[in-house]
Amino acid sequence: MPASIEVVNLTKRYGNLTAVDAISFSVERGETFGMLGPNGAGKTTTLEMIEGLKRPTSGSIRVEGIDVRKQPDAVKSIIGVQLQGSTFFENLSLCELIHVFAACYNRKVDAHELLREVQLTEKADSNARELSGGQRQRLAIAIGLVNDPQVLFLDEPTTGLDPQARRNLWELVKLIKSKGKTIVLTTHYMDEAEVLCDRIAIMDHAKIVALDTTDQLLAKTGVRSRIEFVASITPAGESFHTLAGVVGLEREGETHRVITSDAQATLGALFALGRAGSLQMRGLTVHRATLEDAFLKLTGRQLRE
Amino acid sequence: MYCTYQLTIASIKMFLRNRQAVFFSLFMPLIILFIFGSLDFDKPHGMHVGLVTHRPSPGTAQFVRAVRSAGTIPVEVGTLESELAKLDGGRLNAVLDVPDNLLSPLNAADPVQLTVYVNAGRPIEAQMAMSFINQLADHVSLSAAHVPSLFTIKQQMVNAHDSRYIEFLLPGVIAMAIMQMSVFSVAFVFARYKEQGILKRLMATPMRPWQFVTANIITRLFMAVAQASIFVALGTAIFRVPIVGAYWLMAVCVILGALMFLGLGFTVSGLSKSVESAPLLANIVVFPMLFVGNVFFSVSTMPAWLESISGYLPLTFFSDSMRSVMTNGAGPLEIKRELIGMLVWSTVLIALATVTFRFQEAQN
Repeated sequence: MPASIEVVNLTKRYGNLTAVDAISFSVERGETFGMLGPNGAGKTTTLEMIEGLKRPTSGSIRVEGIDVRKQPDAVKSIIGVQLQGSTFFENLSLCELIHVFAACYNRKVDAHELLREVQLTEKADSNARELSGGQRQRLAIAIGLVNDPQVLFLDEPTTGLDPQARRNLWELVKLIKSKGKTIVLTTHYMDEAEVLCDRIAIMDHAKIVALDTTDQLLAKTGVRSRIEFVASITPAGESFHTLAGVVGLEREGETHRVITSDAQATLGALFALGRAGSLQMRGLTVHRATLEDAFLKLTGRQLRE
Repeated sequence: MYCTYQLTIASIKMFLRNRQAVFFSLFMPLIILFIFGSLDFDKPHGMHVGLVTHRPSPGTAQFVRAVRSAGTIPVEVGTLESELAKLDGGRLNAVLDVPDNLLSPLNAADPVQLTVYVNAGRPIEAQMAMSFINQLADHVSLSAAHVPSLFTIKQQMVNAHDSRYIEFLLPGVIAMAIMQMSVFSVAFVFARYKEQGILKRLMATPMRPWQFVTANIITRLFMAVAQASIFVALGTAIFRVPIVGAYWLMAVCVILGALMFLGLGFTVSGLSKSVESAPLLANIVVFPMLFVGNVFFSVSTMPAWLESISGYLPLTFFSDSMRSVMTNGAGPLEIKRELIGMLVWSTVLIALATVTFRFQEAQN
């Protein structure tokens, strides 16, 4: 059985600029695949090439075994798409919008049923303009589902949403996943990728710098835990880098974040400094490491900069 | 087919719910029709002449009586200051200074000097006033010399029905309204669809661009026919404009005209870099045509060079063809030149549109 999506050596160049640089990956059927990275890393360009909206400079893409470059329409009819921004026609109700998009696939759908699925039943006769940001994204997903696609692409579905709306959207994505659809989503939120995705590709500067399951990714990068504390006194001339298990450091004023592959050893060393009187820690917390930490470890950069 | 049909239905709904589009394609031209239609250009403007007399004398009194009895033009009598003030204020078209010695020594060898004051800022009125005064002077001197009139002139109309301004205006306004609707609704709406990513979203479905474009063209052709029907109905009902020509030929002109300007709309939309620049660019092309496109006034009153340019403008072909059919009952052969003109423009503009208009930005 072939994979749902197979991308081999995919490249996109604009003049001298390489937006996507010979990336390869595959997505299994029923999987939720995350593409993570800062703005301009090449996530959207990659997605739009798979969706048949942009022509690759080189490389091959197969969706459900169909070559996107040779049969773009065949691919378009089995995928669903939510684009960044998600703006739709003004002066059409949600129901009418869904009917129009269904007609683009030569289909008729039960608009109310689709709107019920994304919890927009009470907005059926409203205009897309009247929706909140979260509602607009849910509408975009409903429209992405009009052709009952095998693969659904979501491009930054929660960017600009408040925390409550984000959580609502996560529940919706999980619901769609539970129906067995393959989902590919891009995000620059680590927590989102962690909550939703089975596997994650981290993109930076047009390349995939890491690709694995969340747990494996964390294990592979040697990132296990994050120790955070506020220190008013720090040991003079000494860096936390030399402490046992430390793999990364971040500092904002008096707030320190120590990323460690061995929380127990690092904590022991920190406490030893405290006992010696050269370190005074307040508000000490220990977190399981997140993808953000992994990204820092992989690229040496903070994600949202 | 189903897709194009549904897109057309949706497109018609969107057009009719777009208040701005409805205002500019229907109410705005209606307002123009009513304002211009109620200005009565057909009635000649009143001509008023001031007479200035200095010292009452039998000669001047007889002259004033003679002018008044002619009755063709109302005259006012006053001092030089008061009459010149009225001339300056625009209430008089000319002031005639009547000398005191008028008619006293009736001597052809020594003609009396008449001074006429006219407003230099109103050359046409001044000219009309001068010709009136010349006529008056001739009349008075002939009668004073007791020479019988050699001719009497009887006026006879040759036109079957006198052509009123509204009959000129109505077909022009129909052409203008269809031009505005076709150019602006396409240029602006499509520039916005593109900027908002709506066209890109549509491209992510198996729908083909021509299906969406066809739906929008059908919508606007439908609107153009509706506009023409509404204006013709109002023109006949309110302004009593007789429709002499064939309706089917008017429909042909409307559809050709709309196609031509839809091509222009798509071209403008394709050339515009942003939503803001679309109406600007559209106005640069459309605005001058409003004045030299034979819509409100006949270009035959304009300088020859302008008239010859005007003769090749799309709007001129459109308004002329509508006018010929509507008010003169022209057949297809009589408006051959206009029909060919519109066909050529349609071909050129649609070809230009297919070159400039793209669903997506160009890809390297």
